[in-house]
Amino acid sequence: MRFHIYQIVISAISAIMIYQGAMNYIKGRNNPTLLKLLARIVVWGSMALITIFPNLSNVAAKLIGIEGNINAVILIGFIFVFLMIFKILSAIERLEQDLSIVTRNDALKRIRQEEK
Amino acid sequence: MDSVEKSRIFVVIPAFNEEGAIQAVINEVCGAGYENIIVVDDGSSDGTYSKAKQAGAVALGHKINRGKGAATKTGIEAAKLLGADIIVTMDGDGQHDPEDIQKLISPIVDNECDVVLGTRLLDPKGMPWHKILANKIGNFFTWYLFGLWVTDSQSGFRAYSRHAAQVINTKADRYEYDSQVIREIYIYKLKFKEIPIAVRYTKYSMGKIQKQGIANGFKTLYKMIWSLLF
Repeated sequence: MRFHIYQIVISAISAIMIYQGAMNYIKGRNNPTLLKLLARIVVWGSMALITIFPNLSNVAAKLIGIEGNINAVILIGFIFVFLMIFKILSAIERLEQDLSIVTRNDALKRIRQEEK
Repeated sequence: MDSVEKSRIFVVIPAFNEEGAIQAVINEVCGAGYENIIVVDDGSSDGTYSKAKQAGAVALGHKINRGKGAATKTGIEAAKLLGADIIVTMDGDGQHDPEDIQKLISPIVDNECDVVLGTRLLDPKGMPWHKILANKIGNFFTWYLFGLWVTDSQSGFRAYSRHAAQVINTKADRYEYDSQVIREIYIYKLKFKEIPIAVRYTKYSMGKIQKQGIANGFKTLYKMIWSLLF
């Protein structure tokens, strides 16, 4: 079986994402749960599967009714957009948390100083 | 309950643009016998902070709006710093009756449980039908996603023991906070009890645009699902 560059790249990214999730779970970082890990494996694993076995997308395409090259374009576009949205939403959540922590610490400054 | 115990009971009121009601709420809480009141102004654009301070509460201010959950957490942190043994949270718009505080804290004082949840749905007199329906939907999703069935997952009128206040640690900042606390109760196997509370829906409180509407309901659900998956 011959692999193309895009298959290697996307499989590598998926493997890294799954590995990061597994490490977070094992080391207890970022409030890990088994459900989060499984969701990560399903999402990124599916992405890797479709790139390694592109014919799987034909099965889906037949179901939806899309045929030919359009399939490839849609797939690539979908993967890219999904990746960006996921990263952006994760970053936003982290920033929101940090913002709340900074706001809280500022509000509690006076009480903390009085209690010292 | 003697004065020594009452000095360890703190009432936390998160408030956003409640200039019109906050002084009356503080006065009512004092009238019910509870003088340790912490108001957290969540980035209001009106005089909520100054009115709360004038009324004699410990007034804390968020420089920017972070949400009801974030303001509640700030108030609970402040109460812990000030030596609270029991922390009561309630809304700042006058919907909750401070006379119910005694009912909420009694099970904690008697060491029956760590958390007492005020529930409007055991006796929903005066509650609009659409709010009852929205609450039941909220209860279903809270149970489905977080594993614990309660009759009013969205009520902000609750009491916590110091132990509960120390272990409960959600990342929720907005309306999903009330549901996330239910999840923490389940995860940490905290003993809890539900107590019926009165609810007062006034023209003032029903007219507030930042309350939980349909759009906020969907946002809350999205946040609940996100917190489970990522």
